[in-house]
Amino acid sequence: MNYFEVFGLPKILGIDLARLERKFHELSRKYHPDFFTASSTEEKLQALHMTALVNDAYRTLRHPVRRVEYLLDVEGFKPDGSKVPKSFLMEMFEINEQVEEAHSGSATPEQISALRHDIENRAARFDSQIEAASAEWDRLVSNHATEPELKAQLSRLTEILSESSYIRNLERDLEGTA
Amino acid sequence: MSKIVGIDLGTTNSLVAIVENGVPRVLPGRDGSKLVPSVIHFEEGGEVLVGNTAKARLIENPKNTIFSIKRFMGKGLEDVRDDLPLLPFEVSSDSEHIIRLKIFGRDYTPPQLSALILKELKRNAEAELGEEVVNAVITVPAYFNDAQRQATKDAGRIAGLDVLRIVNEPTAASLAYGLNERQHGTIAVFDFGGGTFDISILKLSEGIFEVLATSGDTHLGGDDIDELLIRLVMKEIGGAPDASAIPSIRKAVNKAKEDLSAADSAEIVIESLGYRRKLPRAEFNALIDPIVERTLKPCRQALQDAGLKPDAINEVVMVGGSTRIPLVRERVQAMFGRVPHTELNPDEVVALGAAVQADILGGGKRDMLLLDVTPLSLGIETMGGVISKIIPRNSTIPASATEMFTTFVEGQTNVKIHVLQGERELVKDCRSLAQFDLKNIPPMPAGMPRIEVKFLIDADGILNVSAQEQRTNKYQSIEVKPTYGLTDEQVEGMILESFEYAESDIEARQVIEARNEAELVLNATEKGLHDEHLSQLSDEERAEITAAVTHLKEAMKSESHTVIREAIDRLSAGTQHLAELIMNSTIQKALKDKRVREIQ
Repeated sequence: MNYFEVFGLPKILGIDLARLERKFHELSRKYHPDFFTASSTEEKLQALHMTALVNDAYRTLRHPVRRVEYLLDVEGFKPDGSKVPKSFLMEMFEINEQVEEAHSGSATPEQISALRHDIENRAARFDSQIEAASAEWDRLVSNHATEPELKAQLSRLTEILSESSYIRNLERDLEGTA
Repeated sequence: MSKIVGIDLGTTNSLVAIVENGVPRVLPGRDGSKLVPSVIHFEEGGEVLVGNTAKARLIENPKNTIFSIKRFMGKGLEDVRDDLPLLPFEVSSDSEHIIRLKIFGRDYTPPQLSALILKELKRNAEAELGEEVVNAVITVPAYFNDAQRQATKDAGRIAGLDVLRIVNEPTAASLAYGLNERQHGTIAVFDFGGGTFDISILKLSEGIFEVLATSGDTHLGGDDIDELLIRLVMKEIGGAPDASAIPSIRKAVNKAKEDLSAADSAEIVIESLGYRRKLPRAEFNALIDPIVERTLKPCRQALQDAGLKPDAINEVVMVGGSTRIPLVRERVQAMFGRVPHTELNPDEVVALGAAVQADILGGGKRDMLLLDVTPLSLGIETMGGVISKIIPRNSTIPASATEMFTTFVEGQTNVKIHVLQGERELVKDCRSLAQFDLKNIPPMPAGMPRIEVKFLIDADGILNVSAQEQRTNKYQSIEVKPTYGLTDEQVEGMILESFEYAESDIEARQVIEARNEAELVLNATEKGLHDEHLSQLSDEERAEITAAVTHLKEAMKSESHTVIREAIDRLSAGTQHLAELIMNSTIQKALKDKRVREIQ
């Protein structure tokens, strides 16, 4: 059972979070190990694994990026950092040097603040790209688009995720500096 | 299902509670006190005292009186090195990954010592309820890692308890607070106890208590404030006093600290050292400010992880004895912008909540459900000492992750996996949890085997691992080597040992009692053998008495009380006739005397 099926959802990316939460509570009440204390070992184990699955699915589906990553995984697409354009890699390389300077203490607080601002802006741009591409995926699905059309959109999503993972790593690296 | 109790196994005090007719109540000990001090005292002869009686021996016999053992749970020597100078305990040399305290030449691990406290609570509950108690829910700080949780579970097993669930203390407290009256809302539970600090942010909706984020410090509590004050006193006395003075100093500063929760000024008085000093609250506040400040960083972290601003919190609940400190209350109020709840006794609320969770597990309540999270990210070691996170912190538990492993060398049949907990990127900065060996992998070319390993954090927050080779569909045998814990075999050994000791203790006592009785019988016989009535016995009777005396004297050297008792019985039988004769003459004499007195 994949995560979408656990929640009785079609494989679309626009998810109503309030409804998702209600369903999460409903499934928790049904399967949680707390309610199987007096059951057989086998039933207990089943409750444990079922609840873990529900929790894993909820954790993944309620997060807009993890949700996309999961869809790509289910569809057999893997974000691949080596396929991003060279020009983009060069840009990332430059930002990475600035992050390293911030770590080594040779950057001024103003430089660090400007760097943080730059990275945040780029991350926000990726977020809106992911959002737009996700909406496009949903539109294609509801219009019963052809297989090649759907595959093309999944490739598009894979590209965006591959690129955005660089920025997310840089963001995390910068967090480590005061 | 038989009754399930809720246990708060605290750093300073421990409690046991149960829900009866829907209402949780703390079960008092035999001395009537609800709080059982988490103190264990060992007597020279092997007797063990727990609770108030043990606490009373802290000053006169500090070396054999153990306190705050919770701070050592799941810890190695390096972790607690800073604490040791102020603690009177003798640490065994074999303590690298599990602390072992040496008491009268025997080594005790923290789970074994905690088990003694749990046994006391079990006995108290049994005495109060009038039936055997086996099932329990035990609470732990929310920020406890895997090893600390496992150590707590091990302690339960050693104490003869079936630990049905490990529950986080702040979440247990939220269950006790009756906050479910409120249908929806967001709550922060600020739990500052004797040894640990937790902050949990919960979302409430129609009986579901969903933890959004938790953070804390498992080495931050009232003990740290006491230590600060001990160091202050030591500095003022000038130079380090005799280590035996530390318990007196600890007791005095602890009293001053508690006094300051109600008064503006307190006094630290240590008569044995001739030391006396005023401690105004302002000075105390300035002193402890850095410690209180350390609680606020995890609060900010938890809010950030929950994606909330402080003003989104509807209620703040205070738990743990250290929340009685006025400065703590002030800071928490300032942080969240609202007056925190302090209605329930902060010492009891966790135990009451544990009882509520026990009631849920027992089938008493189905309308309430606690959804807790794992406090630390789970990761595995990859190439170059870097960690790959597989279950992020604040994931609702049970939670799982599946990873694929393969071999690097042709025909390789073993793969080593190192699991860690923590938020940092490098192996050296995280807490090693365990090493696993995937064994008996079918020999194949490098990279061919596909071994799917499932990491599952259960509802207790404890890791379980299972593996399957995809091509052969075979489950792999996994040998778990916990880095900071006891193996299953060690725990089993300790359970057996505790039974053996209990049995040998009873046996030893019975032997001593039998010997004492033999002593009395021999003395009485000795007297009888000088009595004038001895001449009235037959030769056979006299010979039997002599033989029985020799037999008993020999039997007394035995370590078996039944052997001694049999010899006592033989001598008693042999001397019965003589005893009757002596008795009769005594009675006759008494009657004669009586008559003489009556005549007078």
